[in-house]
Amino acid sequence: MVTGNGCLLGKAGCCAGPGRVRSPGWGREASAATARSPATAPGAMELRLARVDYLQVGVTSQKTMRLLPASGRRAIQKVVIGDLDGVITCFGIKKGEAVPVFKTLPGQRITRLELGGALNTPQEKIFVATGSEVRGFTKRGKQFLSFETNLTENIKAMHISGADLFLCASYIYNHYCDCKDQHYYLSGDKINDVLCLPVEKLSCIVPILACQDRVLRVLQGSDLLYEVEVPGPPTVLALNNGNGGDSGEDLLFGTSDGKLGLIQVSSSSSVHKWEIRNEKKRGGILCIDNFDILGDGVKELLIGRDDGMLEIYNFDSTNEPVLRYDHALSESITSIQGGCVGKDGYDEILASTYSGWVTGLTTEPVHREGGAGEELKISQEMQNKISGLRNELEHLQIKVLQEREKYQQSSHSSTAISAVPTFSVNDKFTLNKDDASYSLILEVQTAIDNVLVQSDVPIDLLDVDKNSAVVSFSGCDSEPNSNFLLATYRCQANTTRLELKIRSIEGQYGTLQAYVTPRIQPKTCQLRQYQIKPLSLHQRTHCIDHDRPMNTLMLKGQFSFAEIHSWVVFCLPEVPEKPPAGDSVTFYFQNTFLDTQLESTYRKGEGFFKSDNISTISILKDVLSKEATKRKINLNISYDINEGSVNHTLKLIHPKLEYQLLLAKKVQLIDALKELQVHEGNMDFLIPEYRSILEEADHLLEEYKKQPAHLERLYGMITDLFIDKFKFKGTNVKTKVPLLLEILDSYDQNALIAFFDAAS
Amino acid sequence: MLVPVFTLKLNHRILPRMVALGKYDGTHPGLAAATQAGKVFIHNPHARGQHVSANRMMQSSQDSDISLLNINQGVSCLTAGVLNPQLGYDCLLVGTQTNLLAYDVYNNSDLFYREVTDGANAIVLGTLGDISSPLAIIGGNCALQGFDHEGNDLFWTVTGDNVRSLALCDFDGDGKKELLVGSEDFDIRVFKEDEIVAEMSETETITALSPMYGSRFGYALSNGTVGVYDKAARYWRIKSKNHAMSIHAFDLNSDGVCELITGWSNGKVDARSDRTGEVIFKDNFASSIAGLVEGDYRMDGNTQLICCSIDGEVRGYLPGSQELKGNLMDTSAEQDLIRELSQKKQNLLLELRNYEENSKQVELSGQVNEADGQRGVIPANTQLQTALSVNLGSDNQAAHVELCICTSNDTIIRAVLIFAEGIFEGESHVVHPSLQNLSGRIQVSLTPPKDVPVDLHIKTFVGYRSSTQFHVFELTRQLPRFSMYALSSPDLAAEPLSFVNFTISERVQRVVMWLNQSFLLPEDAELQSAPFQVCFTSLRDAGQLCIKIKPSGEISISTDDIDLAGDIIQSMASFLAIEDLHVEADFPAYFEELRKVLVKVDEYHTVHQKLTADMADHSNLIRSMLVRAEDSRLMGDMRNMKKRYMELYDLNRDLLNEYKIRCTNHTELLNNLKTVNQAIQRAGQLRVGKPKMQVITACRDAIRNNNAVFLQHCRFLCTNSPDLELDQLPACIWYEDRRFATWFFCNCSPQSFPGHSFMCLFPVFEDT
Repeated sequence: MVTGNGCLLGKAGCCAGPGRVRSPGWGREASAATARSPATAPGAMELRLARVDYLQVGVTSQKTMRLLPASGRRAIQKVVIGDLDGVITCFGIKKGEAVPVFKTLPGQRITRLELGGALNTPQEKIFVATGSEVRGFTKRGKQFLSFETNLTENIKAMHISGADLFLCASYIYNHYCDCKDQHYYLSGDKINDVLCLPVEKLSCIVPILACQDRVLRVLQGSDLLYEVEVPGPPTVLALNNGNGGDSGEDLLFGTSDGKLGLIQVSSSSSVHKWEIRNEKKRGGILCIDNFDILGDGVKELLIGRDDGMLEIYNFDSTNEPVLRYDHALSESITSIQGGCVGKDGYDEILASTYSGWVTGLTTEPVHREGGAGEELKISQEMQNKISGLRNELEHLQIKVLQEREKYQQSSHSSTAISAVPTFSVNDKFTLNKDDASYSLILEVQTAIDNVLVQSDVPIDLLDVDKNSAVVSFSGCDSEPNSNFLLATYRCQANTTRLELKIRSIEGQYGTLQAYVTPRIQPKTCQLRQYQIKPLSLHQRTHCIDHDRPMNTLMLKGQFSFAEIHSWVVFCLPEVPEKPPAGDSVTFYFQNTFLDTQLESTYRKGEGFFKSDNISTISILKDVLSKEATKRKINLNISYDINEGSVNHTLKLIHPKLEYQLLLAKKVQLIDALKELQVHEGNMDFLIPEYRSILEEADHLLEEYKKQPAHLERLYGMITDLFIDKFKFKGTNVKTKVPLLLEILDSYDQNALIAFFDAAS
Repeated sequence: MLVPVFTLKLNHRILPRMVALGKYDGTHPGLAAATQAGKVFIHNPHARGQHVSANRMMQSSQDSDISLLNINQGVSCLTAGVLNPQLGYDCLLVGTQTNLLAYDVYNNSDLFYREVTDGANAIVLGTLGDISSPLAIIGGNCALQGFDHEGNDLFWTVTGDNVRSLALCDFDGDGKKELLVGSEDFDIRVFKEDEIVAEMSETETITALSPMYGSRFGYALSNGTVGVYDKAARYWRIKSKNHAMSIHAFDLNSDGVCELITGWSNGKVDARSDRTGEVIFKDNFASSIAGLVEGDYRMDGNTQLICCSIDGEVRGYLPGSQELKGNLMDTSAEQDLIRELSQKKQNLLLELRNYEENSKQVELSGQVNEADGQRGVIPANTQLQTALSVNLGSDNQAAHVELCICTSNDTIIRAVLIFAEGIFEGESHVVHPSLQNLSGRIQVSLTPPKDVPVDLHIKTFVGYRSSTQFHVFELTRQLPRFSMYALSSPDLAAEPLSFVNFTISERVQRVVMWLNQSFLLPEDAELQSAPFQVCFTSLRDAGQLCIKIKPSGEISISTDDIDLAGDIIQSMASFLAIEDLHVEADFPAYFEELRKVLVKVDEYHTVHQKLTADMADHSNLIRSMLVRAEDSRLMGDMRNMKKRYMELYDLNRDLLNEYKIRCTNHTELLNNLKTVNQAIQRAGQLRVGKPKMQVITACRDAIRNNNAVFLQHCRFLCTNSPDLELDQLPACIWYEDRRFATWFFCNCSPQSFPGHSFMCLFPVFEDT
């Protein structure tokens, strides 16, 4: 074993290798005659892919499966995958069965797996990041590198280009060349992925970091060259077309809220080329690849999402991506790549999922048109596979029974302990901008039995279509056990992924807890906690409108920079836990529900919070003073209230309120109008307004269903605004709230503004 | 993969469960479904253009192959089939809350139109037991009625609660059909003509029943449960978060056995194996399913399964051919099998790993320390004890049944989840103490609302204070049927006046066994041999219950709660396997109540008649007023026209108010009628076997023959539709040309357009 500062390329660093680089179109052309009916043109035909499940390994994290380049005369590629048990499995497919090439021993969890090799040669060396170490293996499974980095944290992202190694821990980026430290950068927020533009084309090294605070950071050496703002927290980066396009500067990114985009990163600035918004509300993007699966000579874009959607985009004449095909797997797709794996001559898309399934979507037809003999052979293969599995199961079952017995026995001993290892839970708790609600996604490697959801703040659980579990709300005792929500989700068999939707109220903060019990013996459950922050509906944004009338909250006192930062982390989502470098920082936020904004600037001893929404300031004031009192810090809080801001906020709310009121009114009329339509046989006699309601009835209903309780939420916020406005004046107007609600019931903007102005 | 052989868009909404397929002319199949505005539409693709507008039927102006039938009331059930075997074609049966219409579609005429006071929530058509002619059996407010093709009611009986679903099925395998009745009291009852032969308790309102084959039938509940029974034993059931809108038995995979097809509220249709409940086929619609029927809709000799959604989308599926080998879904069966086996393997491997890691841990450290606690390490000999007891309550807590769970060592209980049916609002109850209140002991208070035995599936999370992983202890305890009654000392003063006496020929020990099984008796309570007396106090209303047993086997049950007495007799009879039981019963308080109810029924009926008369007067007035107003308009006399319309508007408002009164009156009347029906049912519950039958028959005859009240409410013509809430209607709809209003008053007399006529909305003129 080579340890310490080995050479990244190993002994074969300059290996040109006997393997030829398979051109992407090759296998397809060879197969075109046999696999595809000649009647259909390749471009226009409907894409038919058949799903094949090859193998299951342990739980995998993002970007841990790759296809080795084809070598020798065979076009079939081998698959290499690393899992959280620390095992690297390399296998090929022979006669439909996975035949292992090599398998390593368990160890620390593998967080990334990349292929490398000398530039301009087949990239067939396997590199894995496990803990703070990078290991290299040849394609035969021989370890040639074990590089213990000087990182104190575990490696989160890795990229390899020739002899250059780019590693990222949570906030730290490190660049090594031949395992020697070259450059270092500390990012302002968590780094999700790292990439380097192709050195072959650019002749200089341009590393790019995808950071949680919605920016891509383009580096030069140890310095930040510039930042590129993207519409969501980027989770994955990929080179367009696999090589960065003609210029080598085209970079694809995917975000955790499901958006996808292409950016040209040139030496001094960036250009956004296209962006696909997540209209269908699908999951976040975890992996991207380019491969010509359609066989039209142009590489398609392959996308894997964390809700199990696998998508294929091709490009129209204006080079805009168009969704061509999608397939739903039941769990997160952690890696995706196109190639030829199952059978020579048939291209396929290989995907690995969270629980470690390696699944192929192959162009090989399920029912081949070949002779009866061939079909027989296939079913024979299947039968063998099935009987093999059954045998294996029988053995396992006996073994498990014995072990179970032993475990039961131990319960009679007074000294024995029962320690069941933790199972991994993949969870995601994010704010959706579209409907200002939180999504909680829980994913376990094996089927979930039930989930108990508990909250110590009032929140609403909303129904999610995808979620098939039977929910049951239990009675709650807010005193003395501070339960505001107790709900059980009993899952259907084979549910490994559960999605919940939660609606929070700003100002009410606390903890949401989920107890996840999988269907596995001995039964255990794991507790997961999520913070509902005081300003839970705020989201980080890149810039705000400075011309709005703003209210300001000023803090002064004997507190450190770290202390005030921790308060901001406590109050607002999407703020990095680590205090940023420098001695002062500014964050911008946007209220996802009302579109009001918040600017927070703070340093040691002072902090400024500016918002056009007086309620935001009021919540901040309450929470901050409570937090400071808890730590016995003397705070000097002063505020500057802009009277105009209240009317400004009301004007911001106005179009939303009006739209919702109109929508509610129209929806109410639909049934009656439909009845008339049936009665009269046509709708010519109706005035155009009613006719249009009937015409767009479906759309209206859908829109109405999408935002349940939207009006109530708006009313609640207007009421808060009203109370907060006068709270700053020192008057309590709670008694006037019924009056306000009356005005809202027959809403008129001017009347409302007049009421706000008059009441005092 | 199975794909629909045809898809239709009918452009009419279909009300849930109101779909029927019939050959209304004897050869061509037509699909009938209830739609909005009290109408039924018939889609008749094979017999185009034969109908002329007359009587009830009118051709839809939108689609040529759809004809509309005016019912003018909310349709509450619908079916089609052979009612008169001489006719040679199917007739359509439409039930509303007040009437049943048997309609001859071919001749466009009524076969009969009967008032049904108890409403028609469900309908089934077919032969029942030994009754020779086919019957249209409707289930309403606690009552069941069967009509032949002339409208004679040949079958009448009562049941425990409002009927929600009906089916005919050969339950006992004697070659004759029994009637299955699903009702709102969660019971499925089986009637062999008018005798109840079996009763199955479910956990929610039974919304649908469907015969499969032989004695097997499918059922659906309002909480999303679907399952299959064979005789009185449940084969399987599944629960979904969606609601089953319609179920139907159909052999979709051509294996000779019907599958249970379910249409769900989220638009899903699935077919499940009758034996295992395994899904063999599924498809999705854009909106909720309204109904499932079968028939040869393409007229090619093959029967299709026809699924209709509430949006009017109709899809027909042919059974899978032999080549498909029962494999109707998209994926190949082998791939699925491999996946399933691999999944099993993975689970076993994980379990194995759990044990391995566990034994490794055991070797490493013998003692549990704080850090281990966080990972969920607990002593292996940790045990969980549970105890059920009756808690008489205190000042701040009502009396309840207490379930006490505690651990055997220093571990704590983080949370307790109890899954049980029928005793909680949902299906589960959670106890989650806050961090400060954590301990190794948790008390859960239970208050079952009904006297049924319940299985409590308890999951307890055990660990330490700082744990993030907990051990889950799972166990099941049964809550006895009469757990809500606490043993008390006999108190002569409070002894109930009402009683039931009967004699059994069983040993007293067996009765004691029954007592032990059905009540939560304290451990120290010892029951002596006969004669003895036990007294209980109800935790719900502190009512007394006394059971006295004499050496002769004479048992006397004293309680003022007639339902409880019935439950105790039924429970005892099934435990002691008693087939026939004569009883002597007296419930003076209850009978007095009942007498008052009968008087009230009379009163409500009088009020109703008066209101109907008033309404007729008003509607005549409205007609003349409208004509006068329109005259003024034509003559250009705007001032008078406005005045008239204002008057009309006022009158309309009065009518609306009157309508509301009528609605309340009607609801009250229905409630009282329900009480009467329930009284008969309760009287029956106090007996077992033949005596039970005799009592019900006697009550029925009494009501039918000489009870004036009942005769009155049989004649009672209720023409409104209380299911339509006035508040739901928009206040005013503006008609551009007032065509509707004019048409309405010129074409419809209030008699032909009852119920709805007074909800017509008048045009309101703005000042010009």
